Amino acid sequence: MNRRDALQLTLAAGLLSGISPQILGSIARAATPLKIGVLIPMSGPGGLFGPSCRNCTEMAIDEINAMGGILGRRVEPEFADVGGPPSDATQAAVKLWKGQNVEAFIGMHDSAVRRALTDLFRGQVPYVYTPVYEGGECSAGTYVLGETPTQQLEPVIPWLAAERNVRQWYLIGNDYNWPRDTNAVAKGYIAAAGGSVVGEEYLPFTVDNFDSNLAKIKQTGADAVLVTLVGGASVGFNRAFASFGLSGGVLRLGTLIEENTLAGIGADNSANLYASAGYFANIGTEAAKAFRNAYAARFGADAAVLNSLGESCYEGLKFLHALAERAGSLSTDDTDQVADGTVFEGPRGRATMNDRHVSKDIYLAEADGVEFRVIKTFMSVGAGRNCG
Amino acid sequence: MPAEIADEGTFRVRIEDGRHVDLLGTYVLNQLYITAILVLVVLGLAVVFGWLGVMNMAHGEFVMLGAYCAYMVQEAGWHPLLSLPLAVVVTGTVGLAVEGSIIRHLYRRPFDTFLATWGLALLLREGVEVIFGRGYKSVDQVLPGTVDVLGIPYPAYRLVLFSAVVLAFVGLFLFYRASTLGARIKAMVTNPVLAEAVGINTTRLAQWTFVFGVSTAGLAGALLAPLVRVEPFMGLDYLLSSFFVLIVGGLGTLEGLLIGSAVIGGVDTVASAILDKSAGYIAVLTVSIFFLWLRPHGLYSRR
Amino acid sequence: MAFIHAAKLAALLGLFSVPAVWGSYAAYELGLYLVYGMVGQGIALCWGRAGFLPLGQALFFGIGAYLAGGALTTFGSGWLVLLPMLVAAILIPALLASLVGALVFERQVGSGPYFSLITLALAMLGFQLANSMEWLTGGFNGLSGIPDLLPGVDRFDGLYYVIVGFLGMTTFGLGYLLRTPFGQLLLAISQNEMRLQLFGFRTGVLKACTFAVSAGVAGLAGALYAPHQGIVTPQAVGFLLSAEFVIWTAVGGRAGLAGPVLGAVAIGFLASGLRDTLPYWEAIVALVFIGVVLQWPTGIAGMIQSGWQLWGPDSRHQPAPMRDIALPMPPRRRTPVLQFEDVTVKVGSATILENLSVSIEPRSINCVIGPNGAGKTSALNAMTGSLPITSGHIRWGQRRLQGLRPYAVSALRVGRKLQVPSIFSGMTIGQNLDIALWANRIGLLERLTMTPYRWRTSVLSALEDRFPFLRDGFRMSGELSVGQRQMLDFALTVASEPELVLLDEPCAGLSVEETGRMTEAISELIAELDATGIVIEHDIDVVERLSDRVHVLHQGQLLASGTMAEIRQDPHVQAVYAGGSKV
Repeated sequence: MNRRDALQLTLAAGLLSGISPQILGSIARAATPLKIGVLIPMSGPGGLFGPSCRNCTEMAIDEINAMGGILGRRVEPEFADVGGPPSDATQAAVKLWKGQNVEAFIGMHDSAVRRALTDLFRGQVPYVYTPVYEGGECSAGTYVLGETPTQQLEPVIPWLAAERNVRQWYLIGNDYNWPRDTNAVAKGYIAAAGGSVVGEEYLPFTVDNFDSNLAKIKQTGADAVLVTLVGGASVGFNRAFASFGLSGGVLRLGTLIEENTLAGIGADNSANLYASAGYFANIGTEAAKAFRNAYAARFGADAAVLNSLGESCYEGLKFLHALAERAGSLSTDDTDQVADGTVFEGPRGRATMNDRHVSKDIYLAEADGVEFRVIKTFMSVGAGRNCG
Repeated sequence: MPAEIADEGTFRVRIEDGRHVDLLGTYVLNQLYITAILVLVVLGLAVVFGWLGVMNMAHGEFVMLGAYCAYMVQEAGWHPLLSLPLAVVVTGTVGLAVEGSIIRHLYRRPFDTFLATWGLALLLREGVEVIFGRGYKSVDQVLPGTVDVLGIPYPAYRLVLFSAVVLAFVGLFLFYRASTLGARIKAMVTNPVLAEAVGINTTRLAQWTFVFGVSTAGLAGALLAPLVRVEPFMGLDYLLSSFFVLIVGGLGTLEGLLIGSAVIGGVDTVASAILDKSAGYIAVLTVSIFFLWLRPHGLYSRR
Repeated sequence: MAFIHAAKLAALLGLFSVPAVWGSYAAYELGLYLVYGMVGQGIALCWGRAGFLPLGQALFFGIGAYLAGGALTTFGSGWLVLLPMLVAAILIPALLASLVGALVFERQVGSGPYFSLITLALAMLGFQLANSMEWLTGGFNGLSGIPDLLPGVDRFDGLYYVIVGFLGMTTFGLGYLLRTPFGQLLLAISQNEMRLQLFGFRTGVLKACTFAVSAGVAGLAGALYAPHQGIVTPQAVGFLLSAEFVIWTAVGGRAGLAGPVLGAVAIGFLASGLRDTLPYWEAIVALVFIGVVLQWPTGIAGMIQSGWQLWGPDSRHQPAPMRDIALPMPPRRRTPVLQFEDVTVKVGSATILENLSVSIEPRSINCVIGPNGAGKTSALNAMTGSLPITSGHIRWGQRRLQGLRPYAVSALRVGRKLQVPSIFSGMTIGQNLDIALWANRIGLLERLTMTPYRWRTSVLSALEDRFPFLRDGFRMSGELSVGQRQMLDFALTVASEPELVLLDEPCAGLSVEETGRMTEAISELIAELDATGIVIEHDIDVVERLSDRVHVLHQGQLLASGTMAEIRQDPHVQAVYAGGSKV
């Protein structure tokens, strides 16, 4: 190192000392309000779910604060974008956890990020995971509210086989663990219903040309496609699917096609498209209607469309509230003790936690233009075996 | 998959309800379509990189700008065809500003244009993100539905797009042969001082060449918008495949552009059909690396 | 010197005190940026020093990260795992890079964009493979739950000090490398790679080695990244991270080793602070980056430095190097005969040389004359590996010169001065002379020691006597006048002590007085070297004074050979030059 480098290093060190007080300040500001990290995708393939998640979170936080907060403390949400790869998501979570002293996390993101986060948290901070997912999560301090493949497919596949007469299934999803694990479960139900799997494919997130996949679907003679593509990939696939004239003869079932994705797919391309979920914006229960009206009143007609993933964030905060009050603290030692049997109320109705998961009603809906019409309700479907 | 098809004896596969699908035909149509799309997207970069020597890393972002123009036209409720002139005007204006403020100072510094346009790409992505957000936008199909081509149902819009690209390409080819424009640009690039001396206004010529290059990219974006997801990062895919096409095809000729597009599109289609989509990417990358290493001037080059 | 050491120490102490002063989370964040900065140091070595830009550095970073992540999750953390893990994380990327570098640089001279694009494509390939080889890399999910580097070295606490320690090592290690003759050769590559080859340096291998070093540093950084983040995903290999490395390096300053670290830290903290509050922060980074490219190629570090020079002492003035080790003249072989046998060179449809046959006697000075386009320079090009010959042979004693690369020709003790003065204009006169003295003489290991800076030869002393400006070792050679550049180029050619000296128009652009000095110098030094000289010259007075023999080329063929007097009488020559342009 010559004199010049040495100078630069000294100045670099000096520059650091200029930046750091700001960081220190932000740490020192952590005072009495309870900070809750809300990890939602604002970018990437799941980015289109972000706005509705944010809205629903704000609704829940305001309601909780109006009721006196959690453990008597006012709740403040700290949002972070986890729409990117798991490594970026852990950085964002570490920043909230270690940098901003967040005391609990709500997560609505993909499973790759969830795995990274459970490895990061190691049960040291309560973490409520709200969306649809593949099942099997049992980490300490982690609580799961979303639908498992068992819930979404166990009743639905036999029903479609019987009522829509589909036998030959083609499985297509993005290349990560949720689609793979969902399909592994699906194969059992397909076989049990007397059908067979004629093709299985996993695509990178960035793909926007589905020509070869559609050719394969034609070639195999599939009469049903189970779509586990996410967000933009799902939109692109379903549009191309219809533009090749496949939607007339081949049924599509999505376990992550909600109102936003359907809007992207468009009315021209949504014929013969089904979705299975624990919530749709227009389900007819009183709780759901009240929630829908409150959402519309608060955010107006132009707001992000209500959907199962956005709504799950609301449920997540309601659950965290109930859990913390029941345990009397936010220490995971305490919350893990009392989690089973925690009861909370949301737009989906009253629910009880068992084995870190929740039983729920499952709705099968058929697309009608850019709206879903529920055609069959399966009552109180269990989440299947997840722990142990 | 070819093995499987060959086993069938004919290139036909039966489907349950009795329809016959000519698979090979579909693959051929897909290959023609992807070649046309690549030609459409790469043309602008071929001009800017091949003639001006500007490695425009923001090329994909101009495609993105064009696609957002189509989205804006749709949101405003205008006729979809208006997206084409709008895309040309918007990307042309941005291109003019960029040429004047950045590119003009860097014509003799290839490395720096590379870096500066990389920064420009970031800037354009961020600008679009600030205005439209990060989410995916969807542009409606102008011509939904399929048309039968030799008994194969094929998306109507793709066929129109394909025909338009073929016509435009042939037109451009004939024009380029007949006009002195190419010769003047070459003169300017090889010897700007001499070109200036024989009465070529090099500043203006370079400026308009650049603007032409980026506005064709914008046009491509507007045309592709109904077929793809429209989002701020969409340009990246086009940028890389464009460079690969130019590397394989060689710089400076329209024939090379066509060959490069066919090779890159073909490698992707075949590898994707035999294995899967990732294999397609990997095959394209591998082919490109070997070309960069062994034949950096491509298969077809007048150099 | 004391000041410099104090500055280094202050920087290191400043870094070490960050956790105590600013808290462990700030140190955790800083640790990541320092790791990124380490990769930038490798890029600065390649780009700022040797002039070629590696665009896919995340490939090596990612390989290091996956190796370390895999080792730690499989074997757990411990001292026994640590050492082999670090060695592998450094060596495997380095080997891969040296392979890529050797394959690419040996084929392509120069630092054009193709190498950069290849590295970029390789990083993208790595990204795809990392995604699809799930059994090895965990696919899209990546490797997560990576334990700490060592038991007790917590990622939020102790790991920071380890990172600072390693950063200190790379900074001092690379800093030393930059100061060695190896580092100076890299600078010469970025200035004038072809000229360096004419001094016998195999530049492709030098560049490949440099690339390997940068890859090793990136691999080490990756190995620290894995336990720091606890997770490695394909993004660690990807295209976007690669590009960010380059941006940080450019903004921070690519000329030194502090710049890249500065860039990574400054942009890292700005991004972390502004990302949530200011939606356009990335647009600001982009604008700054464009500004750096257009206006401030030296980056933040360069700005700080020039700002400092306005106030502080000028750091450019360093003590003069001591040339106190006198080297003996290398043993002379019996200088052989140079023979052109029916040499034909065709480029496209043009015939440049046609059945050229000529024999050059040892220890004579031969002048080559002929009108423009006669093939004089092409004949030299054919000898030094820059122009492939179509048929015929060029023999230098027992050896053939055709088909050899320029550096291999130089190793046969053939020295060449190009037509246009070709020096390393961004380097000082002293540094230029170093390169010439090292030509075909410096050993592989000596390139990593400081001794070669002290070399001196009797030829150098003779040159300094002839051209006193050569003693002004700190003067930038780019500031020299045209005449002085010619003299420097000549001096460099002769100082490399060739046995065959090829001088292409050494007196072009010189004044009458300078031409006289140059002519004397040529005959004196070629005699001192006991070498054969071939001089292309238009000035007939110079030819008269210098030449033992004169060869006249015309349209790629030998028209006549002989003494100057014989040439004057030659009817063919008179016929060609009728109208008397030059002769």
